[in-house]
Amino acid sequence: MELLEFFIMGILFTLGVQAFAYLSIKVKMPWYAWAGLITGGLTLLFGIGWAGSSFIENVPQSGSLGLTVFCLPGLLLMAFIIRKYLPKGTRL
Amino acid sequence: MTNSKIVADDNANVHSEGLLDNPERRKLFKRAAIGGGVVLASGLGAFGVGRASIEGKIDKSWPDLADDFKPFPQRDTMWSYAGSPHLMMRHPERNEQFGRLVKNDSRYNFQLQVPRYEHKGWDNSRPGFTQLDTALQHAGWCPPHKWDLRLGAMGIPDTQWFSWDQSGVDHEQYQFGTKLEASNAIRSAARLFGAVRCGIAKRDKRWDYDPIYNAGATVEMMEGAERMGVSKITDPQEMAKAMQGMMEHFKPEDRELSWEKDFPFEPKTVIVMAVPMDYDNMATAPSRTCAGTVGDGYTKMATLASQMAQFIQGLGYHAVASGNDLGNSVAYGIAAGLGEGARNAQLIVPGYGPRIRLCKVYTDFDFVEHDKARSWGITEFCKTCKKCADACPSKALDTREDTNYTFGGEHAEQPGYTWNNHEGIKKFHSDSKRCFDYWLESDTDCGACIASCTFNEPDYWHHWMIVAANPFVPSALHGAMSEMHPAFGYGSTENPAKVAKFWNTGEGMRVNPTNRNVFGAVGRS
Repeated sequence: MELLEFFIMGILFTLGVQAFAYLSIKVKMPWYAWAGLITGGLTLLFGIGWAGSSFIENVPQSGSLGLTVFCLPGLLLMAFIIRKYLPKGTRL
Repeated sequence: MTNSKIVADDNANVHSEGLLDNPERRKLFKRAAIGGGVVLASGLGAFGVGRASIEGKIDKSWPDLADDFKPFPQRDTMWSYAGSPHLMMRHPERNEQFGRLVKNDSRYNFQLQVPRYEHKGWDNSRPGFTQLDTALQHAGWCPPHKWDLRLGAMGIPDTQWFSWDQSGVDHEQYQFGTKLEASNAIRSAARLFGAVRCGIAKRDKRWDYDPIYNAGATVEMMEGAERMGVSKITDPQEMAKAMQGMMEHFKPEDRELSWEKDFPFEPKTVIVMAVPMDYDNMATAPSRTCAGTVGDGYTKMATLASQMAQFIQGLGYHAVASGNDLGNSVAYGIAAGLGEGARNAQLIVPGYGPRIRLCKVYTDFDFVEHDKARSWGITEFCKTCKKCADACPSKALDTREDTNYTFGGEHAEQPGYTWNNHEGIKKFHSDSKRCFDYWLESDTDCGACIASCTFNEPDYWHHWMIVAANPFVPSALHGAMSEMHPAFGYGSTENPAKVAKFWNTGEGMRVNPTNRNVFGAVGRS
């Protein structure tokens, strides 16, 4: 199960890298917005890895708290940056 | 897809060589490759640093000894005292003082409780103490009770599994090409026989019990007690009479043994091995459920150590297997680079925490690469954490922040109270009298300090990551880390849900599609 989890995370990572690269040629944002976006994405991925392993090891409390303390801040950071720095009316 | 189709789809120009000339697409691939590559390289770098951190750093500061440090006489260990009627008669003041100060009963007596230990009835209304849990406890301890291993468990030397017999030593000595080859062969054999860690330490007289003590109890005596129903006697007066009768009938004689005169050879190397205990079973502590993995661990200690002793003897060298006898297993474990001494007075092994049992092989074979003490920042972490001390039902653990040369818990100032403490070495000391008293009272092997330990984790990457990161984390954050452990659902004790959880761990094990827990348990020393 853990191997499957890492395989899925590899796919997510690859898709994420492609998405960021695509975004980088579509919009212009200051460097700190990019830094925040990448940090948010990596935190989200870390949280998915943490929570996945915790659920697999049968400690759901760790999994749910992992989603809360890692994935949620990652998502919020990304959402904040997209809303604040992504130019209005951008069509991706 | 042909080049002409690409042209049609992308509306892009194509060179005569067939390469794309779309700057936007090229930029996309370039950025994805560079960005992804940078993140992957950073991840690989972090992984490499983590792997190096898991190996630990050589700790030249260990051991920190006082000028008056001396090897510890085995007769003063808690096990020897509790299992020896002779010591009871020689040192009645020890029972009296503990009873008066801690139990408010100056007639308190350790020895009279030992025959009834783990023989009390179950309580089906109490999770962890039901018939189901008690059956598991007795099953776990069944091999030690069937053999004379129960004597070895109490530190009695030269028993069937921890025998001093050297008749198996081959007349021809195998010659290894290099010391590394010899060390690897020893570790490979240890891994095969069930060790999850194997370190090789130089024999150090400071960690050997000196003199060695044999309380004199025998299998015949214990079986006689069983036949006479001594374990069912509840009245202390009756028990005293029964034990007196046993002493007169079996006439056990205790004796002290010398390394120079009695031990069959002069050891030069001590092979230290760790056998694991089950995470979910230990998580039920303190209960009879977790006695299952403790008893099982004692059995595996014995089979592993005696198999390794036989292996060394087969190579033509002297070897004696050892469990709790002969020397301080924690000190030898540290010296062999297996882990660090912790607040709960046990060895914490990275990846397992204190959830292991230690056994040793004393040998005169010394053509090996000896390991050195290592540090992972564990003792430093223990200074702040104190989760084991909080969880200890008998309050046996020292709560002073730093390590000390002497025991400093409750009643430490009373003359003679610390007879069981090996003082003069800087470490976390504990009151093993309180600890063992709780075992007797609860009729369990307790284990609360193991289950609650922040380093006691299942074998998954995120726990390894924390162990690897620990040496780099400022000590100011250790408190927060130790608070996160229970917040994330680990380390609770006296938790009925953990008992229920353990009894469901067999679900789905008819097939084990990955064997992950088999391969994942084995690591390097």
